[in-house]
Amino acid sequence: MSIAAPEPKANMGRPEPRLDARLKVTGEARYPSDVPVGNPLHAVLVTSAIAKGRLDRLDTEAARAVPGVVEIFTAENTRELKPLEYTPGGGGASTSVQGLGPDIAHDGQIIAMVVAESFEVAREAAYKVKATYAREAPSASFGAAGLDEKPAGKEFPKAGDAAAALSAADVVVDAEYGTPTQHHNPIELFTTTCVWDGEHLTVHEPSQFVYGLKNSVAKRLGIDPAKVRVVSTYIGGAFGSKAQLTPRTPLVALAAKRLGRPVKLVASRDQGFTIATYRAETKHRIRLGARRDGKITAYTHDGREVTSRPDAYKVAGVSDTVRLYDFGTVATSVNVVHADRNTPGFMRSPPVVPYVYALESAMDELAVALGMDPVELRRINDVTKDTVSGKSWSSRSLMKCYDEAAAAFGWSRRTAEPGSMRDGEWLVGWGCATACYPTHMAATTARVRLLPSGEVRVQVAAHDIGTGAYTVIGQTAAERLGVPLAAVTVELGDSDLPPGPVAGGSTTTASTCSAVIKACDAIREKLVRAASTANDGPLAGRSPSDLSFTDGRAVASDGAAESVADVMQRLGTAALEEYAEYIPHGVQQDGIRKLYSGRAAMTGGPHGDKIMYALGAEFVEVRVHARTREVRVPRAVGAFAGGRILNPRTAHSQLMGGMIWGIGSALHEATEIDPREARYVNDNISEYLIPVNADVPRIDVIMVPEEDAEVNPAGVKGLGELGNVGTAAAIANAVYHATGKRIRDLPIRIEDLL
Amino acid sequence: MTPDHSARPEGRSSPAAPGLDRRSFLGAGACGAAVPLLGAASAAAQPAVAAAPDVRRPLDVKLRINGQDHRLALDSRTTLLDVLREEVGLTGTKKGCDQGQCGACTVLLDGTRVLSCLTLAVMAEGRAVTTIEGLARPDGSLHPMQQAFVDHDAFQCGYCTPGQILSAVACVQEGHAKDDAQIREYMSGNLCRCAAYPNIVAAINQAKSEMGA
Ligand code: FES
Ligand code: FES
Repeated sequence: MSIAAPEPKANMGRPEPRLDARLKVTGEARYPSDVPVGNPLHAVLVTSAIAKGRLDRLDTEAARAVPGVVEIFTAENTRELKPLEYTPGGGGASTSVQGLGPDIAHDGQIIAMVVAESFEVAREAAYKVKATYAREAPSASFGAAGLDEKPAGKEFPKAGDAAAALSAADVVVDAEYGTPTQHHNPIELFTTTCVWDGEHLTVHEPSQFVYGLKNSVAKRLGIDPAKVRVVSTYIGGAFGSKAQLTPRTPLVALAAKRLGRPVKLVASRDQGFTIATYRAETKHRIRLGARRDGKITAYTHDGREVTSRPDAYKVAGVSDTVRLYDFGTVATSVNVVHADRNTPGFMRSPPVVPYVYALESAMDELAVALGMDPVELRRINDVTKDTVSGKSWSSRSLMKCYDEAAAAFGWSRRTAEPGSMRDGEWLVGWGCATACYPTHMAATTARVRLLPSGEVRVQVAAHDIGTGAYTVIGQTAAERLGVPLAAVTVELGDSDLPPGPVAGGSTTTASTCSAVIKACDAIREKLVRAASTANDGPLAGRSPSDLSFTDGRAVASDGAAESVADVMQRLGTAALEEYAEYIPHGVQQDGIRKLYSGRAAMTGGPHGDKIMYALGAEFVEVRVHARTREVRVPRAVGAFAGGRILNPRTAHSQLMGGMIWGIGSALHEATEIDPREARYVNDNISEYLIPVNADVPRIDVIMVPEEDAEVNPAGVKGLGELGNVGTAAAIANAVYHATGKRIRDLPIRIEDLL
Repeated sequence: MTPDHSARPEGRSSPAAPGLDRRSFLGAGACGAAVPLLGAASAAAQPAVAAAPDVRRPLDVKLRINGQDHRLALDSRTTLLDVLREEVGLTGTKKGCDQGQCGACTVLLDGTRVLSCLTLAVMAEGRAVTTIEGLARPDGSLHPMQQAFVDHDAFQCGYCTPGQILSAVACVQEGHAKDDAQIREYMSGNLCRCAAYPNIVAAINQAKSEMGA
């Protein structure tokens, strides 16, 4: 065992190395742009240099004259593409801005695509495309003229009379917080390769939802989805950015069709900032009222989120934050602010990241106002019945997480006074915050095949975006069928396989493993019946409930056993194969049909009979240099409870990576926008700062054992989104403790602390 | 040959001086290997470039990659990264930014780590190129650094991994893996968005002793 592969505790599986590890360290794992296709043409995009107005003229003459240019696609010759309705999440179109003009709705909108014999020629020609615009002044963000602000829905969570409770409160915190625009920036670029074989299209594109992509591409091309296959075996990071149809894909497909050759697009890093989605900028006003003894009596939260002009994308995380504590009374609202920007979308841990940051900062302010330890404030307000709905929790281990993390961190040695823990030149601050993520389950299918040799093949069009899905799905089948993990092959990421859920909202493990369990159990049942109802054989006449499977054998409790190969011979079959559908409680019966047509059907979090969340507690130490005000995070401890942990190794990596994301969110990451042009100015990964190795301290991840039989058959709550939820608030709270300065707008930079 | 910034082939926003960024240098062309990168800006801005030889005419280039010779006819603007991926079919080397910011394209050139997206293919002539595909032993057993990455789960999506591993091998060979702090510093040119950093440090610590460093 090592730090990376911790010893399993109760309710945890083995820390197996990833099934795809060897492929990934040898360069053999083929990501979509790695797949060889015969004699491809290369595409380069041309994007708009204005954010609002009209494309008057596009002069492509000089570009066409470059030897090797085959075709240039513009608004003129792509009209046959059918407009799609914008759908926030779930595999549909990521934006309503799909055409190449003449209307320009955001900076960096695709206005042309050059296709040439080589990448070098396509790029050269793309520089020669000349655009003339009728420019209008854009509205970039909060505070600009010409914004359009609207409520993001009809109703938001509410309980009791929060206004009255606030005026009666002994202590009130009333503060505003802000979070910046952020971009996912997976290291893999946005790529698409399209290959036609007659009427059949194959799309190689990194995707978190191949069935969604398949169906949406087909709709936009106006063809039968049965003729489209999407292959996305390995994905080079996604974090929410690859879950929907973006405008590039149908364009590449159309080009490949018209030119009769495969077309390959690898969009540039800077184009990635505008041709896909990003995390929206948000603002929050929070009021917390409490009694002297720390009991909270009122919580109000008014959120505002920037979106594009045409699309009302929102995360509205108040529906999650209101569950966190026993608030007494609640009043919330969310507005969307339409600006001249590309449409935002899901980014790691929507909707909670911005909203929990704001609430957990306000909780710390309340603890300070009460003169109370912030951990104790959470304990006093720990909840068993939801303030808004009255529902109880399926399981809740928040204070266990706090206690374990606090002990590991050494929290009891903290002195409360800001600036009181100075170490020479460094002001030391300790802070903590809660992490939470709704437990989501999605409708999914899976197919499992068992051979007499004990070899198992699992097929489902789910996705491993780095989460370890290949491995935990393999472990689930191996355990259920009693074969070694090495005997299991897992196939994912191909729309020719039975449909799986979108790899988002931490659904994959819980949902896919529940379907795999169902398929395996159907196979077991056949084996059990064959073994026990036989006239002869070692297990003849046994009660089915007496049999279990291990080491490729069916075994009775007294040790009598028969090999799976013999049982299958008895059955007269060379393979047992089962297809299973898992429809979580709360998803309508047509959930699977919807899934086949590319729509995700999800439930969970606050929506079921019980409140279902994974929870955690994060503690950080910050050091602020007394003179330069440089901020460092030398250590962080997180304790998390997420139901059953199938693989502590991959779980550890996800949680650790999440916490480092949180450090980036708190101290580094912001997409800067030029307010005059509504243009991203740091659209590259040297100026958009993501954490590098030297930024990353010691990260201690504690997995707190938790059992929850109610969430789903796998007992899994999901972890991918959980780790980074509390980190930013914990850091902001620690910065206050170090310096006495409360920074409410992220990221926290040196200039904020001078 | 100044690119027209009325439209943005690569979304670049208002460069300080049009035509002086690396993209437009490679895009608009200069006379291949004869022009050192640092001199590129002034060369590209001068009208004399118009008279330069046709950059698109294929150049005969001989590359030695993982011990094998390859004869290629290349557009002189082609980067080593694109040659590996698109011409030779060695796709283990990844494109993460194409502008020297992420390290995903790291390969070894005569044992030294370089960014293959910032290296024109012609600049690699006569030098030994090692990619991730060339690291395992011929019998298929993994290099100690590859094995250490497996053991310490030093990746998630795996996209940065080939670059991390080659960079890590060089980091150890350079003598820059003395302690955790030094490893972190000398590995900071390789971004990992999945943030496997602590596990990468642990992997390098394991591999360095096996590499005899
Ligand atoms: S692709 Fe070369 S450094 Fe990013
Ligand atoms: S493993 Fe995903 S970017 Fe490093």
